[in-house]
Amino acid sequence: VSLLLTLGALGLPASSSQSAAARPQSTTRSDTFDSSIKPFLQMYCYGCHRGNQPAAGFDLTVYDTQESVLNDQRRWNLVLARLKAAEMPPSQSRQQPAAAQRQSVIDWIVAVNAEEARRHPNDPGIVLARRLSNAEYDYTIHDLTGVDVRPTKEFPVDPANQAGFDNSGESLAMSPALVKKYLDAARTVADHILFLPNGFKFAPYPVVTDADRDKYAVNRIVEFYKRQPLDYADYFYAAWRYRHRAALRQPNMTLADAAKSASVSATYLNRIWAMLNAPGEDVGPLAAIQARWRSLPPPVDRKEPPVLRQTVEWMRDLIVGLRPRVAMTFDNFPQRGIAAGSQSLVLWKDRQYAEHRTTYKGNALELDMTGYAERDPLLVVPETEAARARYQESFTRFCALFPDQFYVSERGRMFLTNPREIASDAQGHRLLSAGFHSQMGYFRDDQPLYELVLDAQQRHEIDDLWTELDFITLAPTRQFKQFIWFERAEPPSFMATPQFNSFRSEDDDITSAAKIAQLADAYLAKAREVSTADAAEVVADYFDRMNRSVRALENAKTRAEPSHLDALVAFAARAYRRPLTRTESDDLLAFYRSLRAQSLSHEDAIRDALASVLMSPHFCYRVDTLPETTAAAAGDVRPLSDYELANRLSYFLWSSMPDEELMKHAAAGDLDKPDVLAAQARRMMQHRRARRLATEFAGNWLDIRRFEEHNAVDRERFPTFTNELREAMFEEPIRFVQDIIQRNGSVLDFLYGNYTFVNPVLARHYAMPEPAAGTWTRVDDAQKYSRGGLLPMSVFLTKNAPGLRTSPVKRGYWIVHRLLGEYIPAPPPNVPVLPTDETKLGDLTLRETLEQHRANPACSSCHAKFDSFGLAFEGYGPVGETRDRDLAGRRVETVATFPDGSSGAGLEGLRAFMRARGQAEFVDTLTRQLLVYALGRSLLPSDEPLLADLRKDLSSNGYRFGYLVQDIVTSRQFTSKRVTPTAPRTSQ
Amino acid sequence: MSVTTSPWQRNSHEISRRRFLRGTGVVMALPWLESISVWGAEPAAAAAAPKRLAILFMGNGVNPQEWWATSSGADIELGPSLAPMEPLKGKFNYIKGLFNKAATGVGIHPGMTGNLLSGVPLTKGAELHGGVSLDQVLASRIGDQTVQPSMVLGCEQPVTGYHETNFSMAYSSHISWSSPTSPVPMEVYPSLAFDSLFENRGSQRNLSVLDRVRDQLSSLGRQVSSADKGKLDEYFTSVRDVEQRAQDMRAAKEKAEANATNRGRTVAMMARPDNGLPEDIREHMRLMCDILALAFQTDKTRIATLLLCRDISGLFYPFLNVKLAHHLASHEDTGEAFMRINQFYLAQYAYLINKLAAMPEGETTVLDNSCLVFMSNMWSGSQHDSTKVPVLTAGTLGGTLETGRVLDYTDAGDDNRKLCSFYLSLMDRMGAKLDKFGDATERLTGL
Repeated sequence: VSLLLTLGALGLPASSSQSAAARPQSTTRSDTFDSSIKPFLQMYCYGCHRGNQPAAGFDLTVYDTQESVLNDQRRWNLVLARLKAAEMPPSQSRQQPAAAQRQSVIDWIVAVNAEEARRHPNDPGIVLARRLSNAEYDYTIHDLTGVDVRPTKEFPVDPANQAGFDNSGESLAMSPALVKKYLDAARTVADHILFLPNGFKFAPYPVVTDADRDKYAVNRIVEFYKRQPLDYADYFYAAWRYRHRAALRQPNMTLADAAKSASVSATYLNRIWAMLNAPGEDVGPLAAIQARWRSLPPPVDRKEPPVLRQTVEWMRDLIVGLRPRVAMTFDNFPQRGIAAGSQSLVLWKDRQYAEHRTTYKGNALELDMTGYAERDPLLVVPETEAARARYQESFTRFCALFPDQFYVSERGRMFLTNPREIASDAQGHRLLSAGFHSQMGYFRDDQPLYELVLDAQQRHEIDDLWTELDFITLAPTRQFKQFIWFERAEPPSFMATPQFNSFRSEDDDITSAAKIAQLADAYLAKAREVSTADAAEVVADYFDRMNRSVRALENAKTRAEPSHLDALVAFAARAYRRPLTRTESDDLLAFYRSLRAQSLSHEDAIRDALASVLMSPHFCYRVDTLPETTAAAAGDVRPLSDYELANRLSYFLWSSMPDEELMKHAAAGDLDKPDVLAAQARRMMQHRRARRLATEFAGNWLDIRRFEEHNAVDRERFPTFTNELREAMFEEPIRFVQDIIQRNGSVLDFLYGNYTFVNPVLARHYAMPEPAAGTWTRVDDAQKYSRGGLLPMSVFLTKNAPGLRTSPVKRGYWIVHRLLGEYIPAPPPNVPVLPTDETKLGDLTLRETLEQHRANPACSSCHAKFDSFGLAFEGYGPVGETRDRDLAGRRVETVATFPDGSSGAGLEGLRAFMRARGQAEFVDTLTRQLLVYALGRSLLPSDEPLLADLRKDLSSNGYRFGYLVQDIVTSRQFTSKRVTPTAPRTSQ
Repeated sequence: MSVTTSPWQRNSHEISRRRFLRGTGVVMALPWLESISVWGAEPAAAAAAPKRLAILFMGNGVNPQEWWATSSGADIELGPSLAPMEPLKGKFNYIKGLFNKAATGVGIHPGMTGNLLSGVPLTKGAELHGGVSLDQVLASRIGDQTVQPSMVLGCEQPVTGYHETNFSMAYSSHISWSSPTSPVPMEVYPSLAFDSLFENRGSQRNLSVLDRVRDQLSSLGRQVSSADKGKLDEYFTSVRDVEQRAQDMRAAKEKAEANATNRGRTVAMMARPDNGLPEDIREHMRLMCDILALAFQTDKTRIATLLLCRDISGLFYPFLNVKLAHHLASHEDTGEAFMRINQFYLAQYAYLINKLAAMPEGETTVLDNSCLVFMSNMWSGSQHDSTKVPVLTAGTLGGTLETGRVLDYTDAGDDNRKLCSFYLSLMDRMGAKLDKFGDATERLTGL
């Protein structure tokens, strides 16, 4: 942050900033530098700041003109700050300037800055090209791939710039070591590529091994199945609502509406509705269901009768109980010589089941139905021949509407006949397994779901998922290879005889059409010899199907390749966050082809090409190019192009790439209209991604970004400080800030808000009632618990405490430095160290110990500025818990005398001070910090006019955060780019 | 990084001398010690020889009656199954009684195999879950000292599907796991395993990518302001630096090899195996042993696993006059046929031991600086008994592991006979000290 104008509070002389304003005409010619500045530097500074190894790496002798100083304002602002704070020359230095001498240099720097500001008001300044920060890299990969890969886990922590943010070219550097990390990161992302028949996408974990690909493809299908609404009771309930739509005062309700509001399938509800109202059912299960249906009373005063739920569940339970008793069952294929567990026969059996899920077994007359007599006499087998026939027909319709299973998502070994083994298989989680022994293979059995329940779009979806399963896992090829292994090596070793010696599962060409045909011939010959003709037919069918599946897969793989190239080019455009030029897409494809020419497989070549996209400076850097043709004529400052602006906006508010809508505006070319830009900013602040602004901006501003690694707390003394609590502590301010961003709240809530956000673990820590929802909830009237706003949040109190005691010094410094923006020099060496445990302070309290420290004038000059703010927090212990005694059992005192002489106690005292004296500084600090963050550079003197506008607009709009953002993004600084340095720089 | 199964062969940037040598079917590389002295990095005497660990796995157990050893040193007496080890008396240890608790009581086969090297309980069903294996823990700790962190080789391809115990057959196929959910892709092609040693495929592929990045940076640098160019130059020089280092290493290696040849120094040689899988399993195993030996000798990697056959192996041994495939043969584990299979595997093990013993490394040999472990996932193949597993070790691991011993932990008590304790002891000697591994926090007493 600029250190120029943030003083004034806390009794410091404000003369310097005023003097800049008061003397706008002050002449600052270069000869002033020679005549008065240079001698000062020579006398007091060059002693250390010159030569091969200047102190702090800062060689002051390189500056010999006013221009050269202006060229390096960032450093000179630091010079200014050190001079003002009387930190330089250091106190131990023998040569000390007189106060007037010091002041004249200060005035000169201020005046030079002021003149610069006048010459270039609201100059965009130089915003350096830079690589993405680690956080931006992770967010961008997330938005680009749709999965949370976090490839920068292994990266070193990004350095922050002077203001504490890691999003500027001033601090973000590149190194060979980092290039290697980038390469690993790019490869990690590429390992997530999931190749599909049409294009590619990204899996949530690397999908390089068979195991991972299987897991992904199988789980997608199982999850689809599990999502389907298949509770009959819900359908009867929906039907009831439709029937009584008039009484429910929804006379226009359609059956589809009823399905939607009950979250059931409209397709299936139609069928059920038809059944419920079908005429002619007088006996059997459907008659029983209809009877119950008709018995359901209408709503009373639009309310559901109590008996409704109970009855629809009775109807459901009847079906669920009865249906399995009339389901088809199949024995193993009758054969000899071929094992029942052989793939061909298992698949035959799988198909029998799959094709007869809505078929009635015809056995109702033989069932013992006496148990149903009491539930409904309609279910009992009737006496007369005619009624018996109708009874049977009812079962046929019953079975057709209510399948024995809608789908099968797990299958044990299908050839087993031992019930104990089948039971053990049932717990196997053999998802979608075809039911072989030890061999892989999947089998689809979902016809009832498909035909009765799914709509056209869902059918399409599940068809695709199954096609993709084969494509992703290479299931047909692998299944066939394992068939060969098993039949050769495992009992009964059908293929252990010599005629099969040339068929080895490990041979590359074993799944070629020719090899499959050869094996089919040999296998069939033996099958005909040892088994029945029927069995041989099943075997022939098996080889036929396998060959077709393998060929289909092969074709799909070939057909898919062009689509992967299209997807690669589309990916690059999204990664570069702008349309590709023709040359760029040609180059990318040429790179792919060159990799293929080097014998890389298609998939590896795509992976490497994608890695090269992620390594490209167009992806991992934020850099604006000059307009090609007019580079020379563009002038010093040019407006950003629409795509550049979209990127800038998006990296400001989301720390990531623009979304589709933003890119549409960029393409349409209307982002340069301030109202469009502002509207986009508003939209983006309401988006869930605004959380990233809270995390990255506020997290760095408030210095808690690394709190998730905070380990200073002694967990034996504070057993409640668990990882969950630590996480919750960090989350509290992020939620708070995010809430203000998203609802455009007042930034003064940061200081005075009488609310906060807690989850159960944090609520317990704060002695609040636990939120009923069990998740994060807003708590109003937080004052009751000594909470509300940022100040008493435990994350700050804990982070600024050394473990077994509090630290009024650190807590106070945090307030003064982070919230009020005051520059405080680092403590000199040799300061006495306080014990880190309150119980080891001897007879004195911490407060008294600090008082002693302040008695030393060398210490008091700084400590007087911030200790008091920390002392006001003494009612909060080392982990931010409220307390009235310290760890040694001494009563804590929270009254503090603030630097302006006023005094107050605790949180309320602190807030009162803020209202009376601190608020302007707080608002100014927030404004400056947000501008630094938004621009990705340190502030310049020329930013002062904008800063003044921002403060003004904020205060006249109820301090709502959104106004700040809106003004920033429509400012000249934000919407344009300085192409050349501000003035001819001869000194370089 | 391990070897992956995707095909990658020469590319056009290939160095011509290499191509020439390939034409003759021979490739040379410098042994570790030679490379030190020829490169002149440091005096050979001062550099301690690297330590290497290899694990050779045979699935389906041994024939228990004949798998025994008594006494010690030169007096050691060996059961008939161990006959191929007879000439190596004194150079190996016979270890009995170690076990992996997590592999007991869970049913037979896959549940006894997928965690052999991790000691972590396995999950049944579709979601694979176990633990990172010993070799991969070592690879992540010390693997960055070599071109390849580890080698994961196999002579029998993996299968998946479900075993009757509801464990995935993937557990039967993989002993090396890079994460709890993912096995390391195992290289079964000798030609590709060989290639991976001599031109790190990964680094060549990375160079292609970096090359492209550098091109883009050059052209982008012409389109930006001078201030931005400065930042892009930083990226450019970093990329070039990484490329340069890779190329320098390559050039230095070439030069060192040329020097070594001119001075008549030892050079490791091996013909590149043919593409595809060898028809004969004997040839397959020999080639994989040769590659492993070469990798250790030339210090391309220090950690390797070699799955000679998987659990529930489908390998056939017509040359041993065994009709059944390995797994079914193991069900008759008291028979002559299965003993011949055991002997065949130990002959491969002995072959590798002899090979490393014949590779001088200063005053010692590569074998002296290695530990070669031979193990199976069960004791008796017919009983499917994983309450103890057979283990042999060869090589003194740089003088830290005394050989010629018979160590029987059978009656030491379960806490004192953990495989994971054995692994902790090995990892200590390899330079990776862990507080715990799998189910063990203690080192194996008496190793």
